[in-house]
Amino acid sequence: MALMILRSLKIMDEAREAVFEEAGDYTGAKLAMWLFILSELLLFGGMFILYSGYRYKNPVDFHHASRELEVILGTLNTIILLTSSLSVAASIAAIQKGQRKLSMVLLMATLALGLLFLANKGFEWGAKIEHGIYPNSPTLLARSKGEILFFGLYYVMTGLHGLHVLVGVCVFSVMLILIAKGTLNQRRFVPLENAGLYWHLVDIIWIFLYPLFYLIT
Amino acid sequence: MKPEEEPHVTKYQTYVLVWVGLVILTGTTFSVAGMELGGWTVLIALAIAGTKSGLVLNYFMHLRSERLLIFKVIIPLVMAVFLVFILLTFSDLAFRGGAR
Repeated sequence: MALMILRSLKIMDEAREAVFEEAGDYTGAKLAMWLFILSELLLFGGMFILYSGYRYKNPVDFHHASRELEVILGTLNTIILLTSSLSVAASIAAIQKGQRKLSMVLLMATLALGLLFLANKGFEWGAKIEHGIYPNSPTLLARSKGEILFFGLYYVMTGLHGLHVLVGVCVFSVMLILIAKGTLNQRRFVPLENAGLYWHLVDIIWIFLYPLFYLIT
Repeated sequence: MKPEEEPHVTKYQTYVLVWVGLVILTGTTFSVAGMELGGWTVLIALAIAGTKSGLVLNYFMHLRSERLLIFKVIIPLVMAVFLVFILLTFSDLAFRGGAR
């Protein structure tokens, strides 16, 4: 009996802790971010299914169209994005250890790498558009059905991914200001951690886009 | 914070090692794409991409050191939903047959 009372007292204590401590916030914030990430996975997943369906129906056209993409530029962008994932992960570890300066430097590196990725992408798209290959262009419409589909998917999927990179760059800029102001610190860093989770998702999507668009043999 | 919520701080060395692994795997995908392996090429590329995602999820996104069960359950759940959609789509494509 005494044991039961003791146990229920302990449970009540724990419940009070959960309500009054900001700690409950921490898991809640991270869980919400994960739910958002999963909805993003399904958004991109739908497009990956569309891609595989069309590729299954037009294997030769996809092969020919893919060879026109700049493999070196695609590989370079893969390395850039992987490195930016490393720098943001390290930036979060730094703020957790109270190394504020280091955290800011690493975040600035992440920002710069994100912008570099976008610059490369813009360069790549620019070259394609210069050759008359863009959605609904006369040059593209004169080609076979599979190649039109390939470039349509290329623009939509890398475009939506690029938009996510752009959003990430904006979010990191805000985080940088918040760290500078001290709003984010060793005790409160969940916004930065969530921004990092989002950035890693963007990285994972690119990990799949890269072989599917640039490396078809 | 409750003890089980206390975030696990990963060492910088671990992150760098994971990054090295990711770069090596990228190089592997790149060189495998140049080989003539027929239908295997896509499968190998996807397997490598899956391995890379696993590294990012477990180390960069801390799924490995997450102590609450829900974080480890939701990813496989969504993957299962995604798999169902893939299977439905491809069974449709495969059995559509002559209806052009």
